[in-house]
Amino acid sequence: MIPIQRFDVYRPISLNDALEVLRREGSGIRPIAGGTDVLVLMRDGKLGKVGKLLDLWPIRKELSYIKIEDGYVRVGALTTIDELCSSDLVSDRRYAGLMDACRGFGAPFLKNVATVGGNIGTSHPLSDFTVAFLTLDAEVKLVSGSGERYVPLKNFFTGFRTNVRRPDELIAEVRFREAPENSSTAFMKFDRRWAHAMGYILCGGFIEFEGSLIKDVRVAFDSVSNPYPERAFKTEEFLRGKEFSEELIREAYTRVLPTEMRRISDYRASAEYRLDLSKILMKRVLLKIRERVGGE
Amino acid sequence: MVEVPEYVKIVEEIFDRYKGKEFLYIGRHIQRWDAVEKIKGKALFTADFLKYYRNFVWVHSVRTRYAHARIKGIDYSEALKYPGVLRVITAKDIPGVNDVGYVIPDQPLLVESKARFIGDILALIVAEDPYVAREAEELIRVNYEKLPVITDPLQVIDLRTLEEKEHPLIHEERGSDIITHFKIRKGDVEKAVKDADVVVEGEYETPFQEHAYLEPEATIATPEPDGGVTLISSTQCPFDVRKIVAKVLGVTQNKVRVIVPAVGGGFGGKEDVADELGAKAALAAVLTGRPAVAIHTREESMIGHSKRHPMKAWYRHAATRDGKLLAVEANIVLDTGAYASLGPFVAWRATVHSTGPYRTESARVDTKAVYTNNVYAGAFRGFGGPQTAFAVERQMDLLAEELGMDPVDLRLKNILREGDRTVHGQLLTAEHGVGLEEALRKAVEAAKWYEKRKAYSSQTGVLRKGIGVALMYHGNSIGVEGADYSSATLIVNRDGSITFRTGLMDMGQGALWGLVLIAAEILGVPPQYFKVEYPDTASTPDAGPTVASRSTVMGGAATVNAAYKLRQRLNYVASKILGCPESEIEIKAPDVYCRSDPSKKTKWMEVVEQSFWLGIPLQEFGYFRAPPAEWNEETGQGAPYVTYTFGAIIAEVTVDTETGGVKVDRIITSYDIGKVINRVGAELHSEGGAIQGLGYALMEEIVHDSEGRVKNPNLSTYYVPTIYDAPDEIVSLWVEAGYRRGPFGAKGLGEPSINAIAPAIVNAVSHATGVRYNSIPLTPEKVFLGLKKAGKIRL
Amino acid sequence: MEIVPREEWDNYPDIEIKLNVNGKDYKVKVKPYERLLDVLRYKLGLTGPKEGCGRGECGACSVIMDGKVVPSCLVLAVRADGSKILTVEGLAPEGKIHAIQKALLDTFAVQCGYCFPGFEMAIKALLDRTLDPTDEEIKEALSGNICRCGSYKRFMKAVKLAAKYIKEGKVYFDEEEVRR
Repeated sequence: MIPIQRFDVYRPISLNDALEVLRREGSGIRPIAGGTDVLVLMRDGKLGKVGKLLDLWPIRKELSYIKIEDGYVRVGALTTIDELCSSDLVSDRRYAGLMDACRGFGAPFLKNVATVGGNIGTSHPLSDFTVAFLTLDAEVKLVSGSGERYVPLKNFFTGFRTNVRRPDELIAEVRFREAPENSSTAFMKFDRRWAHAMGYILCGGFIEFEGSLIKDVRVAFDSVSNPYPERAFKTEEFLRGKEFSEELIREAYTRVLPTEMRRISDYRASAEYRLDLSKILMKRVLLKIRERVGGE
Repeated sequence: MVEVPEYVKIVEEIFDRYKGKEFLYIGRHIQRWDAVEKIKGKALFTADFLKYYRNFVWVHSVRTRYAHARIKGIDYSEALKYPGVLRVITAKDIPGVNDVGYVIPDQPLLVESKARFIGDILALIVAEDPYVAREAEELIRVNYEKLPVITDPLQVIDLRTLEEKEHPLIHEERGSDIITHFKIRKGDVEKAVKDADVVVEGEYETPFQEHAYLEPEATIATPEPDGGVTLISSTQCPFDVRKIVAKVLGVTQNKVRVIVPAVGGGFGGKEDVADELGAKAALAAVLTGRPAVAIHTREESMIGHSKRHPMKAWYRHAATRDGKLLAVEANIVLDTGAYASLGPFVAWRATVHSTGPYRTESARVDTKAVYTNNVYAGAFRGFGGPQTAFAVERQMDLLAEELGMDPVDLRLKNILREGDRTVHGQLLTAEHGVGLEEALRKAVEAAKWYEKRKAYSSQTGVLRKGIGVALMYHGNSIGVEGADYSSATLIVNRDGSITFRTGLMDMGQGALWGLVLIAAEILGVPPQYFKVEYPDTASTPDAGPTVASRSTVMGGAATVNAAYKLRQRLNYVASKILGCPESEIEIKAPDVYCRSDPSKKTKWMEVVEQSFWLGIPLQEFGYFRAPPAEWNEETGQGAPYVTYTFGAIIAEVTVDTETGGVKVDRIITSYDIGKVINRVGAELHSEGGAIQGLGYALMEEIVHDSEGRVKNPNLSTYYVPTIYDAPDEIVSLWVEAGYRRGPFGAKGLGEPSINAIAPAIVNAVSHATGVRYNSIPLTPEKVFLGLKKAGKIRL
Repeated sequence: MEIVPREEWDNYPDIEIKLNVNGKDYKVKVKPYERLLDVLRYKLGLTGPKEGCGRGECGACSVIMDGKVVPSCLVLAVRADGSKILTVEGLAPEGKIHAIQKALLDTFAVQCGYCFPGFEMAIKALLDRTLDPTDEEIKEALSGNICRCGSYKRFMKAVKLAAKYIKEGKVYFDEEEVRR
């Protein structure tokens, strides 16, 4: 059964207008950004009868930007993936992980309508940019009629496709502190075909180096033990402060990662393979970061 | 001695006359007739026609919620009241016969008492608007009595004994869930296995493959004043659609007209599902008095139409120390899903090809196709060929490994050559055209096989290269599936332009252009003079279905006949104009002249005009019927096909041993297709078949859950190769070992172009990794876990 | 024939939108839930863009909207209000063939043709950005378009050939001549 629905659309004239509508109608109206997720979920019958959509596209001017100010990089939630990927931000060596995510995101036509806020809002484990932003220790800015709040991305998700956003709130921005000079990021995914694929697993990393010492490190996956993007905190702790080497990474993924990672089997891949693949991708991600920060 | 029919003699005469000659059009790169419309986006596919219609209604299929259930009652009274709904049609409203089965009458159009797979249709909602129809579906109440769901064919049958197992019957009305049993019995297999120096055995499995043609199924039906109906249908078999629709409506066939416009891919998937859509749309049209449209969404298409039969097979090969095949044994189980569709024919073709293109002293093959509650399986390019080729070619590589022989050398030792008999006892002669050895040698040379085979066996590092070979043969025509006939009509219009009519259609394969080139060559007229008409059961002759790689061979032979006879008439008229004998007439339109005295010349237009005055009609109907096949039910001996297309594939891969990812670097295809008629079409087939075969090898599979629901009914979870997955290089080589009863010696290529791709790739991966893989799709996980189990990975 | 009058089942508002498609201005009434794909195909008669999946997974519905390739099956028609859209029909004026189309002919890429409108849009967007695309850039630009008939290698060649034609100033070719 694939109901393609009839529904009403409200087109707000400003962000405040949108927030007012949300305040009034709450979960009776559903925000839609790029549409690549919401419309497909509706098509698959997973959202029940939707009734009314709040089209965020008209307020793009207000919510699509990339700014660097006061030590923060701020990306508007309605910035399209293409806009993000064509910006100067991704050619900054520190944020090369975002560039990696751009390459594997999927079809160019999807990048032109999918948004950064949408990618985070879907709260699906296989969200490329969520994983990449986790490695930058990003925060999500939520706005509503009654104000605004920042929630660390690592605390944003509560379950499969669920997060802390209240029905009267909108994701307005993703922000992260500018990364230190001697650092870089990387992101990788792997699937059965070489393009336009969701990925069996996703892996992102960040390392700040001091010489060859791992001053700080973050490793994120599509899932560690929960059905949403997370960081592998124990593995990070193990790596932090140590001398970078392939052997160290091997020790991390052999002894530490399996203690915090619980993978699931589904028809696409088994838990065993997903865990092994997580190890391999983590190794490749961290090696790539080393290469980027002038190592070998 | 069987009398050779006239239409066969004509084809042989053309073959003999043109042997070794230079061609004007045959074998050249010539742009197809519809290329410009297609690149401009102007070509009309079925759903595009809706822009011209007013007042049409939408037909929505209400499908079962459970894959196996008795339907105790359907209450649609509420749905009927829903604003915008015109009708709800169930089985009891069908005026004719409620059956759309292709071979066996086992498949109701609308379920009466029992749903057998998740795509089974319970009712049709006819509404003003597609959204309304879907909303109304929620108001339909169905009383289901759930039954146990069987998704594994080995629950129905044992692979080793091929005995049916105790299980809740899916087709109780038949008393058994085994639909067919085909055999080959040759020589003394037991003795051969005992005497052999080497015996290898293995179990092989292949998945449900989805056609994933880019254009989902669609049909528009318009009611006619006489109670009949006209359909625009995305189908490979317009005359079968006509037959089934007439049967369902309870009218004579001449009241149903089926027209086939541009079709966006078929690959065998539009052989029988179009009958279902045709019947659905026709019913709605006739009952409402308005044009009715039935279009499947991609998800419906994936659960609602036939798939490639999955195979589970056990094989055993026995050979001498120096590699001579003494025995081939096989137990083959094909999962035909809920309905037979073309299953019986697939099982037959699989059996015929089950031992591969090799000589063997003895053989024992048993193939059984069984029902399950999975989506039903039917025709898909290769039709049993890709499945058995996978098993056979893996076995040959295993045998080569056991013998310490190079895989190519082992094959050269056993391949069929001119003068050999096939496993069915069919003697292959020069008239059949046996170019397998030449094809293999060409591929081996182009691939630098021996060097690479040696170089790749000593590699270190994470990335490992591999090279693999696979051979195949593919019987031309439909064999014992029926009487294989085809026809075409050529009409020269008063202005000199030519109309070409045939019931064969184009789904992108371009075979019709080959038929035009054949006519053009024989008539002496440029292909640009021809217009290819849409297949139309009202006016184009029944040429048989566009299946089985038969368009060029069969349609081409019919076209040879039409063109030959038309040319005779043109020669007659021209000789009257020019005064030289008919045998001297040269036509190189727009010029026509006498060969012995070129100064005696006239124009094509003049010849056409004079024909009108002389009373010589310039239209000809060409017909061809393939010599009947012979097949002994008990022994599988006889002459199953008129000839065989042969092929050799060499694939080169790079395997990432840390992830199991496989990159196909290069595929070399080498096909003996008798004669290359439409060179562009042939090359595109080699490339397209390689890519579709690559998908089959590495990534494609339709997965059912334990309740019989399809888990991946869309194009992101069913992986179809993208531009990144295509090999860096595809090399297409051709061998022309002419088939004397084919048009200019041509044989078919539609299906052969996919048969051996998957085994070549898997053989290459096995070579690269040193691990034996026996199941496709060979996903990265399978590659990886195979390496891990063999202790070849250090994580 | 049986008919149910529209007022009985159609209780959603009509929204008027203005869009410029292939250089022409249109005013169209659309439903809030209507897709841009259906408006182009059935209200404007431009059946070039095709539906292959309805979920942004195949690229057959691609059109260029305000300079960017978008999946028109996932773009609500109301979003197209005030936008400039290019479909395959608008690549070249009547009687002419665009360099991209000529290149596809010259590389003999045509099989069933269903994916072509989508591919041509992806190629146009790429060549508007650069006339010297690398192999990687070409693959990336075409990575979302599925061709089941398997003309991928021909598309690669056609992109480079089209770039060559455009660089030589040959953006349009005469259709009559090409047909001959």
